[in-house]
Amino acid sequence: MNRSLGDPSKSAQEPVGSADLDATLLDPDDDFRLVALAQQGDMSAYDALVTRHRGRIFAMIRNMIHQEADAWDLSQEVFIKAWRALPRFEAKAKFSTWLYRIAHNSVYDWVRKRKIESAGELNDEIFERERIDPASFTTPYGGELPDASMAHGELRAKIQIALGKLSAEHREVVILKDVQGLSYKEIADAMSSTLGTVMSRLFYARQKLQALLKDEYESR
Amino acid sequence: MNTNPDETTLALWLDDELTGSELAAVEAWAIQQPSQVAARNEIRKWRATMAEVMPASEEPPYPDFFNRRILQAIRAEAPIAETVTKKPFPWASWFMPLAGCAGMVLAFYVGKTSQTVSAYDVANAPRAIPVEPVVYTPENGVNAEWFASSKASATVIVLSGVTAIPDTTDFSETASVPMDREIDSTAEIDAQLTIPTGP
Repeated sequence: MNRSLGDPSKSAQEPVGSADLDATLLDPDDDFRLVALAQQGDMSAYDALVTRHRGRIFAMIRNMIHQEADAWDLSQEVFIKAWRALPRFEAKAKFSTWLYRIAHNSVYDWVRKRKIESAGELNDEIFERERIDPASFTTPYGGELPDASMAHGELRAKIQIALGKLSAEHREVVILKDVQGLSYKEIADAMSSTLGTVMSRLFYARQKLQALLKDEYESR
Repeated sequence: MNTNPDETTLALWLDDELTGSELAAVEAWAIQQPSQVAARNEIRKWRATMAEVMPASEEPPYPDFFNRRILQAIRAEAPIAETVTKKPFPWASWFMPLAGCAGMVLAFYVGKTSQTVSAYDVANAPRAIPVEPVVYTPENGVNAEWFASSKASATVIVLSGVTAIPDTTDFSETASVPMDREIDSTAEIDAQLTIPTGP
């Protein structure tokens, strides 16, 4: 594969203006076309792929680690790793599923690194927003986005706190299934797991979440 | 469907992932299974709630800068990748030392025989392409322009759109002024250092 950096004159047409796209707009065929161009070294095609998928990857990572600045860096790392591995990408799976898999590995590497740096003291606390001092100047942004509905802000915060009480594996399954809308098969691919394990994790994770959010859930 | 679906099929049905004949078969079985239908409705309600309050996609802050940094990182490591992927010729082990020796002999011969060295054509020498730096301004509405003067040995960054600094600002509070005690302490140490000169 020619990995030379692309000739702008041969660049792909930028297909989208905003990355905040609905899933239906992320046509896998467009992804495969852009991937093929990027595999030939077309940087603008890869830039278009980043634009198409950055919103979902950032949201997934942010929901996993609840730290906006680190999620921003990690999301970039995902796309840099994806570029390096692009020659090995085959069109057997969707590009987005492949990206989720890289994101999954990046998040777990990050968590592992954080645990080592903290000599085992941190454990899963980094996932728990409620343990972060809200008065701290370095508190990562975890509140409602300005454009999000105020009516959902409180519930979203409660769901995020409840998600923080799950194990990382259970949390990831819920995020990929119920937030990102992946199928069981895609989740199994992304997490390098079996279909049965994913189903089992999702079943218990949903049970625990519904127990944690019992009052909110029943009032709706 | 007369027999119960297996666990995998049931889980797929509960999450609306079945299609075609499989879906029809489980739907037929589920007519007699009100608890399973209720469980599916519960999951649908849960998924709807999650979709309502948790966006699947969120633009990262400064999305243009986000992309630019990725492309810069990729460009920065591209030469390394090319070096790593380059495969040596199979006969390089014996050819390269031989070619090196031949080159040295040739250079020695040329050096001994030629008296004049042709001038290097500076005008046609390859030139580095100047790269315009990008100045990143984290605040919305603030633009940065970059100027450089090699004659003046100066680089200037002009920011436009920055909020005016009020006259009441006391700059002395932002300046680093050494404390008197720090200055004195040095002097005191010097004063105490008396070298004995003998009895």
